[in-house]
Parts: sequence; structure tokens; C-alpha cells
Amino acid sequence: MNAIEIRGLTKQFGSKQALAGLDMTVPQGAIYGFIGENGSGKSTTEKLICGLLVPSGGRIKLFGRDYTDADVRAKVGLLIESPGCFPNYSVWNNMLLQAANLGIKNAAEEVRKVLRIVRMEGSASNKFKNCSLGMKQRIGIAMALLGDPALLILDEPLNGLDADGMRIMREVLVDITRQYGCTVLISSHILGELEKIATHYGIIRQGRMMCEMTAEELDRSCPTYIALRGADMAGMERLLSMRYRRVEEENGDLRVYDAVAPEEVTAYLYGQGMLPAELTTAKIGLEEYYIGLMGGEVKR
Amino acid sequence: MEGTVRFEHHTFGQRLGSMVKVDFRRMFTQPLVYIMLGVCLVLPVLILVMTTMAGGSAGGGAAMGTFTNVWQAIGTATGAGSGMAMDLTTMCNINLVYFLAAVLVCVFVADDFRSGYAKNLFGVRPQKADYVISKTAVCFVGCAGMMLCYFAGAMIGGAIAGLPFDLGTASVGSVVLCMLAKIFLLAVFVAIDLLAATIVKQRLWASILAAVAVGMLLFMMIPAMTPLNATFLHALMCFAGGALFGVGLGALSALVLNKTSLV
Repeated sequence: MNAIEIRGLTKQFGSKQALAGLDMTVPQGAIYGFIGENGSGKSTTEKLICGLLVPSGGRIKLFGRDYTDADVRAKVGLLIESPGCFPNYSVWNNMLLQAANLGIKNAAEEVRKVLRIVRMEGSASNKFKNCSLGMKQRIGIAMALLGDPALLILDEPLNGLDADGMRIMREVLVDITRQYGCTVLISSHILGELEKIATHYGIIRQGRMMCEMTAEELDRSCPTYIALRGADMAGMERLLSMRYRRVEEENGDLRVYDAVAPEEVTAYLYGQGMLPAELTTAKIGLEEYYIGLMGGEVKR
Repeated sequence: MEGTVRFEHHTFGQRLGSMVKVDFRRMFTQPLVYIMLGVCLVLPVLILVMTTMAGGSAGGGAAMGTFTNVWQAIGTATGAGSGMAMDLTTMCNINLVYFLAAVLVCVFVADDFRSGYAKNLFGVRPQKADYVISKTAVCFVGCAGMMLCYFAGAMIGGAIAGLPFDLGTASVGSVVLCMLAKIFLLAVFVAIDLLAATIVKQRLWASILAAVAVGMLLFMMIPAMTPLNATFLHALMCFAGGALFGVGLGALSALVLNKTSLV
């Protein structure tokens, strides 16, 4: 069963078409990285799934049921943009309110548990308004974790987190999917972090799903390359271009994308009277893959 | 990785119970309601004492249309002559609470949308109808408290100002029924205020303006519906009106929430 299944979803804001027939499938237990440019429709999609916006057309199903079903919604945790907390309430009281909204019986115990998960148990008595941005994001995550959700919808949860916060977030998300089979839909612009945890990806552009793939498929789609550096970069580029089909300069490196062994490149350059100072083999990451996709030239 | 997700059934009663508990907790742990209760307690004292002082004496106030009797701060008996006349006693009496109620309801609801709490709420278990019922109930209790505080304030203010407590054609029983009728009528105003607040959501001033504007249209009817010498029928009519409008406007508020964006 899929945790989220969206077919032909449309959303119109006045004359602006935010979503134009979006199809999306999030398998149960996946960490689904939802990627797209600003204004591509990521947040709109998430808000629609959460029932915060009214769709203009299309169908949304959560775990095979209608997305407005209260019983299904009780198993959804969300963090959309910012945690919705009352600024003058303490973190603890804000958490208790949400626990009560979810009808959690041992509210205090549950709140303590989720605050411990996000390492915020020491800040429970702080007023929400006095918390830093990173702390607020963690509180938002803790709030989303209340009631053992089967589906977590997180809109830019990594914003404002320091390196430690990001690491904690990563650990938490991986842990809850492995231990409790929770499905996570996460949108973020920090693709490097997303790449470390996502098992599935969906790339949205102008309100339409460009492609959906698993992490393995992405891995297969991302080519390896040989990166070279040397004293005479221009000369090296000229020589390599004569022999290999795709040679590009990126970040001060010369990259040879053709599937060749590094020894062969070294031997060729040596034969031409030139030796690189540095030679490494690498694979393009999600970020580069995505940028390439957006630019219309996917590096394969 | 894939497992079976078990969904617990949440009944309407369970959802509403949690929601009401949360709203009561919110209403009575925030300063807003206590400020409003304080205003309702102090306002009649100030009005009665200051207008009596301005009138020179308790008896001489009649010519200026100021208070000559404590009960004028609560209502006017039908057949007393000045029921619909627009003087100070009809403008500055307990019926002001209906406008103050608009402030309480609109701030309470706008807070949900301004803080983002509505996202947490509607994104998970609570349904829009639960929200409207709970808010109506909790705001009604808060506003009823304000009404009682105004009553108490009027009594204190009247005593300080030295105004007579002469009931005239009314009786203690009819005053109780008058207060009951006024409290029941609050349900109509709370429902109107809630509808205005759900339409404009986080735009607090717009919701207060809209609620007060609609309230103004009904304001003239209040003295006739809740006279000081009210009978059981007045209370019953106000109860029925409150229930009908409460349900009708509540359904409209739920529809607004269902059909409009919440963020």
C-alpha cells in the first residue's frame, strides 16, 4: 500500500496555476525527498495533503483512504513552514495542547518522550518565543512525532538547523522509519542532507512531477567522472577533448565523464607529455543531478 | 520496510471532548479572558459613577438621559416608555457586552491562525465542525462570564453612585429571566463573531470590524428581546434563537473553513 497517492492534483490561486495535474506516489516506509525550485508547488502540495488548502481538482489518498478521514489524519504528523505554537506558552504547554488535540492518553509521558528524541527535554519550560530558530524547528519535529504518526510531512525542516541539529534530524528520521515503519515526506533545498537519508525522490517543476525515482535509480542515473587538476589546465583540457567525448570544467576541476579507467587517462596524458597533479574518481550527487535536470542537461 | 498501519477509530465525541478541553485550557490560561472580565466589571462602575457625577445628582440625571436607576444599566422594562429611545441608558448598558464579546471571540480565533496553531490542528485529527462547536461553546462560556461581571459591576457602580435599586414593574425573578435571555442571546452573537473570524482568519481587525458591524444591526433589537421585566417566554425565545442561530451560523463557519485555505 502506498502512504500517499495523488492523481491529477490541481490548485489554482486566482489566475495562477500552482499545481497542474500532479501525480505522486509515496510508498509506505519511504523517506521521500520532495525537490523543486522555489514556487514549483512543493509547499502547496504538502499543504493540500495536510488539508490546509482546498484542491481545485484531483484526488489525494493517504494509506488508501480519503485524505480528510479523521482516523487517517490522526496518524499524520506535520511541520509546515514553522511549528504552530503560541509564543507566550512554554514549550511543554504547547506540546501538551497538541497531545490533547490528538487525544493522546499519557500526554505528559509522550511529550517527554518526543522531546527526548529531539534532545529538547532541557528546554521544556522555556517560553516558545524565547527559543532560537533551530530550537523551534526541533520543537516542530517533536510536535509532529506526537502520537506515533504513520506519516510525517515536513516542509523545509532543516531550515535554521545547525550542523548538530541536522545530524539529530537525520538520525531521528532514519530511526523512526526503520523502527516504526513511519513514512516521511520531506521537502528541502539542502539536497546534500536529503541525499543522506532519502530512499525515494520526487522532482517537481511548475506544478507537475518531472520524475519520481528510488535512491538506487538515482544512483544509477548519476554518472561517475574523473576529476583532474594540473598546472596547465587549458592544455590538459585541449588534450582530453581530443580524445574523450565529454570533458567539462567545473569547480576548478577538469571532469572526464566518459566511462574510462583513471589509469587510461593518466597513461594518455603521460603519452602526451603531461601529468595531472591530482586525479580523483567521483560520482555526481543529487544536487548536481538536480541542477542538471533543471537546466535541461542531465549528466549521464 | 512496509508494515500494516492500524488506524484507531476516533469518534466525534472523543474528538470534540479533546478539542473542548484544549479550548477551555487555552481560554482560561491566557490573560485575554481575564482582561475582558475585568473590563466588564469596571466599565459599568465607571459609567454609572461618572454619568451620575456629570448629571449633578441621581435625580437630576433624567433630563440629560443619564442613569436614574441602577437597573437601567441592565435593561428597560417594556412599557416604560424609553425602550427604543437612543439615550445614554440604552447605549451604555449591559448590551455593550455583545460588542466586547466580539473582541474576545475574534482575538481567540485569530490567535489560532496567527500563531500557526490552526495548521497543527486541521492537519491532524480535529475536523472543522469540531473546531466550530468547541469554539462556540468555550467562547459562549467566556462571554457569559463577561455578562455576569457586567451585572456585578453595575450593582457595585450603582451602590457607589448612590442610585436607587427600585425595580418598578419588574421583579427579582424577571431580572433573572432577563439575564438568562441576554446570556442565551449571546449564542447568536458568538456565532456571528465566529463566522466573521473564520472568514477573515488571521486578520484580527477585519474580523472585529465585521463582527461589530453585524452586531450593530441587531443591537436595536436586544432591548425588546430582553426587557428588564422579562418573562419565561422571553428567555425561551432567546434560547431558541440562540440555539438556531448558533447551529445555523456554526454550520456556515464550518463550511467556510472547509472551502477556504487555512494558511
